Amino acid sequence: MAGQRSRLPFSPWHLVLIPAAIILLFPFAWLLVTSIETPAEALHFPPILTPHVIRLRNYPDALAAAPFGRFFLNSAIVAVTTVICNLVLCALAGYAFARFRFLGRGVLFVLIMTTLMVPFQVTMIPQFIITKWIGVHLLAAAGIGHIGALIVPNAATAFGVFFLRQFFRTLPIEYEEAARVDGASRLAVLWRIVLPLSAPALATLAALTFLDSWNSFLWPLIAINSTSAMTLPLGLATFQGAHSTEWTLLMAGNVMSLAPMMAIFLVAQRYFVRSVAATGLTGT
Amino acid sequence: MTASLVTPGGAGQGAGTAAPAADRPRRGTRRGRAPRSSAGPQSLAGWAFVTPASVIIGLFGAAPIVWSLVISFQQNNLSASTPFVGLHNYRALLHDPAVAQAAGNTLVYTALFVPGTMAVGLFLAVAMNRNLRFMWFYRTAAYATMAISTISEALVFIWLFDPSYGIVNYLFSLVGIPQQQFLNSPSEALYVVVTMTIWGWSGFAVVIYLAALQGIPQDLIEAAAVDGAGRWSTFRKVTLPLLSPASLFLAVWLTINALQLFDEVYLSTQGGPLGATTVLVYYLYQQAFENFNFGYASAIAYLLFLIILVVTAIQFRVGRRFTYYRS
Amino acid sequence: MVTYRLRGVAAGLLAVPTAATLAVSVLAVSVLAVSVLAGCGSGSGGSGNGKSIQLWEGYTGAEAKAFSHLVAVYDKAHPGVTVSTLFVNNDNSLQKVLTAVRGGTAPDIAYLYGSWAPNVAQIPQVVNLTGVVSRPGVNWTDFWVGERDVATVNGKVIGIPALVDNLAVVYNKTLFAKAHLQPPGPNWTWPQFVADARALTNPAIKQFGTAYVTPGSEDTVWHWEALLWAAGGQILNASGTKAAFDSPAGLTSLNTLRAMAVTSHSMYLDPTDSAYANLFNSGKIGMLVTGPWDLSAFPAVHYGVQIMPAFPGTSGGHQTISGPDNWVIFNNGASKVKTAEDFLLWLTAPAQVKYFSLATGDLPTRRSVAQASGFQAQMNAALPGVSTFIANLANVRQARPQIPTYPQISQAIGTMVVAVLLNKAQPAAALAQAAAKVNQILAGSGSGG
Repeated sequence: MAGQRSRLPFSPWHLVLIPAAIILLFPFAWLLVTSIETPAEALHFPPILTPHVIRLRNYPDALAAAPFGRFFLNSAIVAVTTVICNLVLCALAGYAFARFRFLGRGVLFVLIMTTLMVPFQVTMIPQFIITKWIGVHLLAAAGIGHIGALIVPNAATAFGVFFLRQFFRTLPIEYEEAARVDGASRLAVLWRIVLPLSAPALATLAALTFLDSWNSFLWPLIAINSTSAMTLPLGLATFQGAHSTEWTLLMAGNVMSLAPMMAIFLVAQRYFVRSVAATGLTGT
Repeated sequence: MTASLVTPGGAGQGAGTAAPAADRPRRGTRRGRAPRSSAGPQSLAGWAFVTPASVIIGLFGAAPIVWSLVISFQQNNLSASTPFVGLHNYRALLHDPAVAQAAGNTLVYTALFVPGTMAVGLFLAVAMNRNLRFMWFYRTAAYATMAISTISEALVFIWLFDPSYGIVNYLFSLVGIPQQQFLNSPSEALYVVVTMTIWGWSGFAVVIYLAALQGIPQDLIEAAAVDGAGRWSTFRKVTLPLLSPASLFLAVWLTINALQLFDEVYLSTQGGPLGATTVLVYYLYQQAFENFNFGYASAIAYLLFLIILVVTAIQFRVGRRFTYYRS
Repeated sequence: MVTYRLRGVAAGLLAVPTAATLAVSVLAVSVLAVSVLAGCGSGSGGSGNGKSIQLWEGYTGAEAKAFSHLVAVYDKAHPGVTVSTLFVNNDNSLQKVLTAVRGGTAPDIAYLYGSWAPNVAQIPQVVNLTGVVSRPGVNWTDFWVGERDVATVNGKVIGIPALVDNLAVVYNKTLFAKAHLQPPGPNWTWPQFVADARALTNPAIKQFGTAYVTPGSEDTVWHWEALLWAAGGQILNASGTKAAFDSPAGLTSLNTLRAMAVTSHSMYLDPTDSAYANLFNSGKIGMLVTGPWDLSAFPAVHYGVQIMPAFPGTSGGHQTISGPDNWVIFNNGASKVKTAEDFLLWLTAPAQVKYFSLATGDLPTRRSVAQASGFQAQMNAALPGVSTFIANLANVRQARPQIPTYPQISQAIGTMVVAVLLNKAQPAAALAQAAAKVNQILAGSGSGG
């Protein structure tokens, strides 16, 4: 069974996956239902899951409440750029950590990992000051108040380096060695041999990095000082007041914010299934 | 490539030629790491490759950490004077019962969350790693748990676990389990948070394991079947070891995140009841942004940093003995 | 054989574009990104122009609309002056403000919770407004005493009141009628509240008489403090050096809560501070002690509002507690400070206060506006029940201690209240323990040094 590709519609695995999917999607269902309710029905506890009145106008109302088109664009620019930068920089670094021996490799990797170990609440003030300095002395577009400030600190993450390092180490080294014997440069080996074999990992990293960037709230809150540079989570926060929250609009906004992430994932999925077998590695 | 090349403890080498099997490092030794004096083209290439990422991570990650270390030696509350108080903050935190409670909560939480999430993620990934119809739907469902905002997740779980109106107590009443107080009970609240966060992170574990499962060539599984191994035996002896790098990665990453839990606590119980869900990051947040004690908060962050460092190091050490790399 | 096949595969893969293409594409992406970025997003609002100020606020919905209208009016009436606003959630604004202050890019004006005032006052860049508010025409005493107390720290005025509220009882008229209970009258007492709560509780239909939030945060604490004051007690002694709530009044107040939460189970305990309002709106709770901000969250309920009960035989009366918030000015240069002051004085002048209150349902921050004829009726027409809250402002007699260690004191008190509500401690013991902790904090040996 493990090696078979089952096309039977009644595979027993569905009996496991359907309840699992219900549990996984339940909050999403609640989110959706709340987004099409009227405030009178949304402000219920326990929540009403079968509303009597449907209000689709929540969606255009949410969009009109703040310049969401702008927020969406900002979020998209930041997320896409962050993903591309991460894929490139983390692949380079991850590959070096996985395959090269160089002086200080171990120490550097440990240092990179340690940056994951201090919570943001503590590092955000120094990070703010550093970002401000960069904006003043190096590149204005990367300084406080610009969306570059949201990209540059996250252009390479310890997560990406760690993840790709682990993945690259699982690849059989023979291909890379064969290519080196053929005279390919290390960069060529990475670009032409390793990365194509790493499609699932790269797709995973892209999807996760996109998610992280798209949903990022606290750093953009700290770094952005004008409405025109706000990202989507900051925009959604405009529905949350000190004492009262416009739940229906907020949930509508959340659903619209989820859509691109789900779209990215649906696209990335096709790369998840590209198995090593497809590239002819099942040698004799 | 046969299963016999799967040697425990082996590591990828950047050498130009494949080392014969006899020269592969033995299990338990330092994995083929060159003696420190390796300079030359490999070193140059290595540093060239890692520099861009390291500069960014270093600048925005390492520098703030050093900065915060300095602050932890000050009595810092944003007034004009930030006097240097040496180890006072550290001494205070050693005597603070709230820190001990928070540390305990954090460790208990982590010990439950990490294995729980890995188990759930592995189970679902194995279930989803097949070519059934609607597989894209199930995988998307897993990813959706990561995409959904934390506040939505928190609100739904608060509702599910409400002692009076929640579904869980209702289900309990159907099967005769007594009604629980959940988030109103200092002894149960942390487990509710564990459940909520396992739900929230299982999608991540599924995605990681799915990527790793894709890297397992079918011929290895088939070879095991040909050798007469049953499905569970194949899973235990072939699949799991081949997944061990992903498992190590997940264990390390989930642990690092679990020890720094904050958002779910902030959005649901706010550390209560009676400190039962106060974890270290929440406690230091309170110190920094409610009590205005930044120096103390930084000191707590460093305590946490030490805990994470030690736990991660242990994980890597232990992981080294159990992870199999196929090269 | 394997090697040969591998090399064949490798050679095949090598047919993919060269490393040069990789480098070029990375370069192209970065150039593109940077040029896009340079065009997008404006600067940090703090330009050299002294007449252009930045203001951070957390207004949503109706408040946001009313506020931006006022800003537009001001900008139009004062050519050359620009007030640019930035939305920052009130809950998160402290983190953003503190980071900005440390980073040297503080806003000119920020909306800050009153509970932060004693600590915010210690920030060097916060402007001392004592002289400003005593200018002729400002009428500082026109602001409610609760607001003035919260805007003043150690005799120094550091903010201008932005918001005022108070706690009163919102009750479900339908549920009262169903239970054949007299709706609360203005002279009612806490024992009556407890009795009503018990009568309104019906476990069979999961209906509770009242609710209380139990995360142990300030929300938990200030509800109890209102009871403490009503019972004639004080939080700290007159000089602020020792806890004073460990008293008969403290015991009475805790016992009142205990009677409902533990004895008669008539109190829904909300550990997350999120469900109680929706429960009330769903008709599952009889009475809530809450503020005017919640009135618009009850569209499905026929509600009434009554002032807080009193404890018979004490001097507390129908006292309530208020949670005002402040506009705080940060010093970014003399001309920006002047622009900010002018704007705030205009914003908090009676005409604008009246406009804002009528447009949003928020309580007026000035007594003259509240007492103007017809005003309360007008407010009540737009938001039923709010006039009771406005009148209730007269019942605000004191404020919480305006000391930097209040947040720590609050945490100790919060633990005490939650322990009693969850029946983990007896009131007398909980009081003693909390008082000891508070004394420790006041003596300067509390956590964090």
